[in-house]
Amino acid sequence: MALMLMAVPRENRAVFRWGAILATLGSLVLALFVFAKFEPNTDLTSINHGYAFVQTAEWIPALGISFHVGVDGVSVLLVLMAAIVAFAAACCASGIKAREKEFAILLLLMTGGILGAFMALDIFLMYFLHELALIPTFIMIGVWGRGENREFAAYKTTLYLSLGALLALVGLIMIYLHYETFNLPDIIHRIQADHGDLMTTGQQGLVFALLMFGLGILVGLWPFHTWAPLAYGAAPTATAMMHAGVIKKFGLFMLIRVALPILPDGAQQWLPVLAWLCLGNLLYCGLVAMRQKDLNGLISNSSVAHMGFVFLGIASMTFIGLTGSVMVMVAHGLLAALAFALSGHLHQQARTLDMDKLGGLLTVMPFWGTLLLMAVLAGCGLPGFANFAGEITVFFGAWKTIPLITGIAAWAALVIGAVYMLRAARQLLHGPRADDAPHTDDIPGWHKLPFIILLGALLLFGFAPKLLTNKIETASESLEHVVEMYKRK
Amino acid sequence: MIDQELKLTLAMGVLLLPLLAAVSIGLGARRWRGLSAGLSLGASVIAFLCSLILFIKFHGAPAAIVPAPDAGIQWLQLGEEFKVDFAALIDPLSLLMLLIVTTVGTLVQIFSLAYMRTDAGYSRYFAGLSLFLFSMIGIVLASNLLLLFIFWELVGVSSYLLISHWFEKPAAADAGKKAFITNRIGDFGFLLGILFVWQIHGTLDIIELAGMGAVTTTTGLLIFCGAVGKSAQFPLHVWLPDAMEGPTPVSALIHAATMVAAGVYMLCKLFFLFTADALVIISWVGGITALLAALMAIQQNDIKRILAYSTLSQLGYMVMAVGCAGPAASLFHLTTHAAFKALLFLGAGAVIYSCHHEQDIWKLGGLRKKLPITFRAFVIGALALTGFPLMSGFWSKDAILAQAYATNQPLFYLGVIVALLTAFYMMRCVLVAFDGDSRSDAANDAKESPAEMTLPLILLSALSIGLGWSWFGLKVFLMNPVIWLGSKMNGAVPLNQISPTADLAAIIAGTVASLAGLALGWVIYKGAKEDPLPSKLGAMARGMRDKFYFDEIYAWLNKWTQERLSHYADWFDRWIIAGLGVRGTSGAVDLTGCLLRLVQSGNLQTYALLLALGLLVMLAFFLF
Repeated sequence: MALMLMAVPRENRAVFRWGAILATLGSLVLALFVFAKFEPNTDLTSINHGYAFVQTAEWIPALGISFHVGVDGVSVLLVLMAAIVAFAAACCASGIKAREKEFAILLLLMTGGILGAFMALDIFLMYFLHELALIPTFIMIGVWGRGENREFAAYKTTLYLSLGALLALVGLIMIYLHYETFNLPDIIHRIQADHGDLMTTGQQGLVFALLMFGLGILVGLWPFHTWAPLAYGAAPTATAMMHAGVIKKFGLFMLIRVALPILPDGAQQWLPVLAWLCLGNLLYCGLVAMRQKDLNGLISNSSVAHMGFVFLGIASMTFIGLTGSVMVMVAHGLLAALAFALSGHLHQQARTLDMDKLGGLLTVMPFWGTLLLMAVLAGCGLPGFANFAGEITVFFGAWKTIPLITGIAAWAALVIGAVYMLRAARQLLHGPRADDAPHTDDIPGWHKLPFIILLGALLLFGFAPKLLTNKIETASESLEHVVEMYKRK
Repeated sequence: MIDQELKLTLAMGVLLLPLLAAVSIGLGARRWRGLSAGLSLGASVIAFLCSLILFIKFHGAPAAIVPAPDAGIQWLQLGEEFKVDFAALIDPLSLLMLLIVTTVGTLVQIFSLAYMRTDAGYSRYFAGLSLFLFSMIGIVLASNLLLLFIFWELVGVSSYLLISHWFEKPAAADAGKKAFITNRIGDFGFLLGILFVWQIHGTLDIIELAGMGAVTTTTGLLIFCGAVGKSAQFPLHVWLPDAMEGPTPVSALIHAATMVAAGVYMLCKLFFLFTADALVIISWVGGITALLAALMAIQQNDIKRILAYSTLSQLGYMVMAVGCAGPAASLFHLTTHAAFKALLFLGAGAVIYSCHHEQDIWKLGGLRKKLPITFRAFVIGALALTGFPLMSGFWSKDAILAQAYATNQPLFYLGVIVALLTAFYMMRCVLVAFDGDSRSDAANDAKESPAEMTLPLILLSALSIGLGWSWFGLKVFLMNPVIWLGSKMNGAVPLNQISPTADLAAIIAGTVASLAGLALGWVIYKGAKEDPLPSKLGAMARGMRDKFYFDEIYAWLNKWTQERLSHYADWFDRWIIAGLGVRGTSGAVDLTGCLLRLVQSGNLQTYALLLALGLLVMLAFFLF
């Protein structure tokens, strides 16, 4: 029952900010508990094999939709990451001065939705909860956003993401039409049975394309990424943290969870395309990031670029690559949240994020500066941070199947990443301070907490990536099955 | 068994103590300057003692080479193929290197106590040094390629942090960035090389790889790219001179004695991976670097930059030696070079400290009487570097030249020319900076540095003289047919198997070149008030002074490739956004209005319900 509470925190009482912080703290504690106590069901005959903490309740029996939740080795990590980011986001929401109640409610709705989406075992529920988390994003950008562009940003983001979600929905419904159920373990069970119950190759190709592009838009797959810099540039800090960190990962999660196991033939047709598109993210968006003058523009482009590693891992279709993808998802979630939190603080202080106008901030804001330097180094894949562990794993996984693309990706990771990341450090932190530079204060007292938690998690998983891979290993059977299905021909 | 445990405890102590120091300074000790310095220095001293015990106890016969047992911490493992253990590999090679790193590390920290005393970032500086020591020791001990790569990157970042220590200075901040990115280009090749090795042999463990022998030439050269970046070989040598923007003790430790030597160390350690073809290319890259850098050094006026180019040149020597199938000779020179180059840099540091940060040798002069200890130390270092008979550099340079004579004669002659140039520019540096009259107020007021600074100078002077002598043991240690990692050093020519002819040729040519260079330098620069070379050599001298325009060429290349691409990408991106923007503006207002209305109703349940209803309607539509 604890899990149900976590899935949908309905504390709609008007305790505003503290309520939100406490609620997300509750989620975090529960997520830690789930993480620690996670023991997947080892009963091979059970339909819930591989999952833990399974709960089921009837929801819309007429359509075979049920409230069916549980976690496996992959989702337990995403849930933990989401809970950490949500807590940090709630702490960083203190900059919101108007309509605090609505903001808090939307933030909690978002948290509950996305946590639930990661745990859902019913495809429709998964989709529905994700929408529940996504919609507040638009509202938050439109209402609490910054800059003159915010209405346009909200509009464009809504348009893009709704389109993506709709495409994916069409694909999901086609899956439903074939299997007549939305129950994911049930469908996979039927595929794994001796005479695999698969859709025809043509159907699979169509559905996979719908899911790949639909979900790809949600993640910012090149060339459908242009909403991201706009949205994150206008979004309030907490929203950018939640969306870039957590909600964006949903598309990737669903791709791994639903598309790959159900549509092995479709994957075979489309993954080579995905492999080349991921270079669009890694190279193109990396190059774009090199030219950004605005810190948020840089972070959002780099965040889109980093999604390329996840796509690369998926496209490699090896166990190592898929594991790496999940690791990058967790690492990037934490890092994106940290980066947006830092830029949020800077914006609050200096009222600008134009890197040409700022400089020498390491002297005035030592704590903020040190953290930004750490985030920058994590972003260019320095060992010791979780990102490196994930990226290197992806490279090793992808090297065996798509070496050329992996090689180019390594250039993007090692060189292009270093160029734009260090440029940010050079312009913001180093150098002399301009005479007319705006006054900025460091992060005070307890406000440091969310930053420390995010950085701590990044370092912890960076030094001991086994904490991540141990959990993923318990799901290795399903991942390896995916790979085998793919190679079967 | 007891030995194994002792080995493990000591090795982990050496590795983790500096990290511990860095972390505790970062977490709070930074508020107390003395405590920070004490922690860092203490960790370094203990690490030195541990290394010394390790060396004395375990450097013995090759048969005693035992890899340290698995430290029990697995960093990462996925399936059977992808395993990264956190373990230390202890062989004569790493024991020697540990000793070098911790010795120089300790002396440099003692020197820094005084040199950095008035610096506002005192604690940050020592934290950086400790972090560097940790990463460097990690490279030395790494037992598999990925672990090596991890520490490789960490060394890169600590170097970045230390070069841009004075980050308010734009030049220092830029230099740090340049060093990091240039290194990253080399690391790109290194990573691809590691991936290839893994693909070919299916393992990353160095001991296992040693049993499997060479990989393809391409793979070997990709691995070599890592060394090209870290050891600043042509064509990625451009970052090292700029790195002189960092504090001088940092230049001594990182950019002379240890980090830049990591590339050479890696080549020696992974010698078995290289095919004969790869070795030929490696030796030529090293030779070209040695020659180019020596030429550039002749026309530099900044005392630190002269030493920086000389470092480049000597690193080229070491790489050349590896390419000539002589990892032992290379390692010998690495060791002596660590001592005399650290000495030279610290000597330069003492000069800079005494002369209020004046670094132009033409504005110094007359320091011989004012800084007697520094002067003597600097001269000893310079003589060792030029390969003056019986100094340590004489023996190691002789070993390299003999190696070249035996395997690749053109490189032997190139090496002799470099030796001559080296003697020439060092004579110039010493005469101009220390001899004659003071040419500025700063040089006039110079006073000898405090004991914290002179003590390391004296100790390093002793090492610079003695390291090459056989009673010191180093030469004997390396001369032994040291067969690292079992008998897998295919193609390597040990020092004691070089023919007497080659040895004789090397000794005679080396000595003559050194003496001739010194004499030439004496004739031209004794009593000189300004540099006579530009008028004599014209364009050639300008080219040397401007480093043969590598920086300009690279800036141009970067501008026309990566920058241009990035420009196009950005333009394209904006164009798409703008294109959509025109179409979307009219709709935007309406939609935001809608959104605002919805929020103002304040009733979210309604909204969620609407969403669910909408989806249901759509579902129904698709289904029936």
